[in-house]
Amino acid sequence: MIWYNDLNDGIVISSRIRLARNLDKTPFPAALKDKAAVTKQLQDSILKSNSTLANDFELYELDKKNKEEKLKLLEEHLISPQMMQGNGRSVLINKNRTMSIMFMEEDHIRLQIIMGGYHLDEAYDLADKVDDVIEESLTYAYDEKFGYLTACPTNAGTGLRASVMMHLPGLVLTGNINRVMQSISGMGIAVRGMYGEGTSSEGSMFQISNNITMGLTEQEILNKVKNVVNKLSDLEKEARKILISKNKTGIEDKVCRAYGILKYARSISSAEAKQLLSDVMLGQNMGIIKCDGKMTPLELMIKIAPAVISDGGGLSAAERDVKRADMIRANV
Amino acid sequence: MMDLFSELFDMFDNMGPFSAPQMTPKENRVCPVCGHTWADFNKTGKFGCGECYKTFESGASSVLRQVHSSAQHVGKVPSKSGTQIKAKRRLDELKRKLKEAVAAENYEEAARLHAEIKSIEGGALK
Ligand SMILES: [Zn+2]
Repeated sequence: MIWYNDLNDGIVISSRIRLARNLDKTPFPAALKDKAAVTKQLQDSILKSNSTLANDFELYELDKKNKEEKLKLLEEHLISPQMMQGNGRSVLINKNRTMSIMFMEEDHIRLQIIMGGYHLDEAYDLADKVDDVIEESLTYAYDEKFGYLTACPTNAGTGLRASVMMHLPGLVLTGNINRVMQSISGMGIAVRGMYGEGTSSEGSMFQISNNITMGLTEQEILNKVKNVVNKLSDLEKEARKILISKNKTGIEDKVCRAYGILKYARSISSAEAKQLLSDVMLGQNMGIIKCDGKMTPLELMIKIAPAVISDGGGLSAAERDVKRADMIRANV
Repeated sequence: MMDLFSELFDMFDNMGPFSAPQMTPKENRVCPVCGHTWADFNKTGKFGCGECYKTFESGASSVLRQVHSSAQHVGKVPSKSGTQIKAKRRLDELKRKLKEAVAAENYEEAARLHAEIKSIEGGALK
């Protein structure tokens, strides 16, 4: 099941695990001359393995895909923004689209598991098993002291990035979000926007992930992220209770107005749409409103991003706003 | 018992910041696998290959400590190449426990751990 269609509590949206791995005695992608030969070896470690995994994957050679097809993969979070550019990049994606193995990103291998809802341990266990399958036929760049060696020192050691995407409108609306985020920032935990590094947190979506990849075991890293996620979940639930108890009519009015604008607008910017969809999601989770449109507010939030809306078709900002409004009206 | 204490002193000798290597990242070494120099790393913040970590070991250690507050991996060991590393990890853990047992004056436990350490080390020599 595609991660954004999975049911959840409306606070923890998705869980993601990423492992960075490289081949021994081989320059990393940025310094590698013959990418094709190395890529073949990496792909074969999965496709020619005796594991049942071998038959579960489809290979996407990104050089042969147009911008639209690549955007679709980016939108589903199955490739990173970096994979959109450059050449010699490819990705294996499993049938239920929860697993992607990117080749020749910053590292030779970026193994990623993404699941809807709160399943960080499950996702790690799966990544760990696939990692073992890959390792059977090749030798990783690994050092007893430094662990798994990666192009960027920020990933070295475990090579593990554990991320959880959270919807925290209660903390935003009650004005607590900055204070909460400040208290987290000293804990070796990063908070980012929906599409990872360098993206802003529109629509009250926040990605919580570990900064530190060395000096802790994988389980310690997962626990650290989970502690923060649990804390944030509790605070968000508390904030939602306060919203209802202090100003029930106010929050109901906000949610229903948001729905009204989404249902009838003829032109809408990405920022406004994300904000309103976030309000509607909140209303849905709090039982204020029921959405029975073709797409969930979360799915719409993903499909209305400027890059996704323009489909590589070079639309102007004004044209995109009209197209976005059409799409939301038809599906909300 | 004498043997046990000499081992503890060895452990203290091998510990900690006193043995930190001198930082000489400016040296003109060239990575034998990717051809990168320390200047290349300074420019991009990225290493050219896994071998770079060994080629520029003291520089890499210092950078890793800045980023992670640690330059020692304690997580997963690759299943294929990791048998020896796993044995060493087990030994390190036993030695740490031995130190704790002695500090707590739990000599019975210390003697048991000591015996286990000896048997593992003996096995490794054969
Ligand atoms: Zn190198």
